Amino acid sequence: MLLDRKGFGLLLLSVADTWEENVPTYNEIDSTFGDGDHGITIGKIAKTFRQAVEAWTDQPFKPFLKSLSSAVMGVGGGSAGPLYGMLVEGLSDPLDAETEEIDAGLLKAMFVGSRAAMQSVTKAQVGEKTMMDALLPAVAAAEDCEGDIPEILAVAAAAATAGAQATTEMVSHFGRARVYGERTLGTPDAGAMSTAAFFQGLSLGAPHTT
Amino acid sequence: MKMKKFINDPANLTAEVLEGLALAHQDLVELGPDNKVINKKLASADRVTIVTQGGAGHEPALSGFVGEGMIDISVVGDIFAAPGPEACVDAIKLAEKGKGVLYVVLNHAGDMITGKLTMRTLENEPGVKCIKVVTQEDVSNAPRSNSDDRRGLVGCVPLYKIAGAAAAEGKSLEEVAALAQRFADNMATLAVAVRTATHPQTGMPFGDLGDDDMEIGMGQHGEGGGGRQPMKSADETADIMVQGLLNDLDIQDGEKIMLILNGSGATTLMELLVIYRRCVQYLAGKNIEIVANFVGEMLTVQEQAGFQLFVARMDDELLHYWKAPCNTPYYKQV
Repeated sequence: MLLDRKGFGLLLLSVADTWEENVPTYNEIDSTFGDGDHGITIGKIAKTFRQAVEAWTDQPFKPFLKSLSSAVMGVGGGSAGPLYGMLVEGLSDPLDAETEEIDAGLLKAMFVGSRAAMQSVTKAQVGEKTMMDALLPAVAAAEDCEGDIPEILAVAAAAATAGAQATTEMVSHFGRARVYGERTLGTPDAGAMSTAAFFQGLSLGAPHTT
Repeated sequence: MKMKKFINDPANLTAEVLEGLALAHQDLVELGPDNKVINKKLASADRVTIVTQGGAGHEPALSGFVGEGMIDISVVGDIFAAPGPEACVDAIKLAEKGKGVLYVVLNHAGDMITGKLTMRTLENEPGVKCIKVVTQEDVSNAPRSNSDDRRGLVGCVPLYKIAGAAAAEGKSLEEVAALAQRFADNMATLAVAVRTATHPQTGMPFGDLGDDDMEIGMGQHGEGGGGRQPMKSADETADIMVQGLLNDLDIQDGEKIMLILNGSGATTLMELLVIYRRCVQYLAGKNIEIVANFVGEMLTVQEQAGFQLFVARMDDELLHYWKAPCNTPYYKQV
């Protein structure tokens, strides 16, 4: 299977839908141990995704993703804006300047690029109650998947979701919630939840026939 | 408790705050694209310039200190949210007048990521010389040896003042940065809260301190530092906090300090003055002299009740720059 602009755009719009449905949930989780605005930020990033896809006519993938990354970083979203900006910029790293279509191998390389970009700005590992608890297992699952694009997206979504749910039982070791220590037990990490929704949205937006 | 604030559409809040600031202080500041607040005299500056970044919602900080002798450009994200690196790169390029730019970043997760990405992008801008200084003086959540975990609180404001004055006197970028770093290395803040604020865009409170407790080490946005305890009197609270700061900085008998008592938004000037009086008594008892001070609001957190107590070790050079003239919307020195 190959994803062209239209196919990839549908994935991103599906991510925006999934994020928008969860805005109040993220605000509520974040108000427990943060400043309560993760949903606001995610709503702004979702809108940025939507506007970028709607305006995407003839640019190759790489410049499109680079300008989407800049827009996401500029939403004014605390740490989530720059982090999601890095995630998107990382997607563009393995692409050639003129890439017009994406196959399963390239999609996996794009996820690996996201992981590398995120790791260049955060030291957080699995188990520290951050976005990385969803991202790292999702990318690992995608890398190990031998199937085509829908299967890759499905296993990444499942791994990200499990990773985000596991943050409920973690004590925060990173970011602003860290100072609450044991009190963070029982509440999932808002960033891990929105990262899981990113992968869920991609999977929901994937074509179901090959 | 339901939020009661005079706001319009929360999505436009930051833009409206900055518009109001620029209208109220037209002689000093103007707005640039992507939420930049710019010193009106920047265009004619022939010196090192000062750029900073950070969220809104802390008025008058940070943008209320843009003007002559302090900040040249403040890049604002959204309420309590850092801007992206692109806007910061633009601001630093705009501020580069051939003498270099001091870029001040407060240690908060989002600001630090933006700061890192901004500096990375500037590596490919050969015409721009920029040195980043991070403020990280909250003593509550990490020891001095682990300052990367210390948050940036009100200490950025006197740092802007001192660095801005050195820049105005024609010091080189290296000299301004070294001075700013020396001040940053010798400052400490403790925040206390008795009632938390609500986020103006969601109406959600930052945690809950109940009717009887206060929390020493509250950080800037209610991050919490583990010092929750029953409410104490003004004098008892002042003693605990002053001693905590003296211990952290290892200030000795006979030393000179700056002391700032910064209200968080809902604590009255009446209370601040009572606390300040006690700080002076306590320090006099230890033969420590306050040579520079400020009592009032520099950096607030909406309607959070509480204050930030700031101490910095001073010397004649730092004091000279603190006392030098400046003219910004919310801090003036003649």
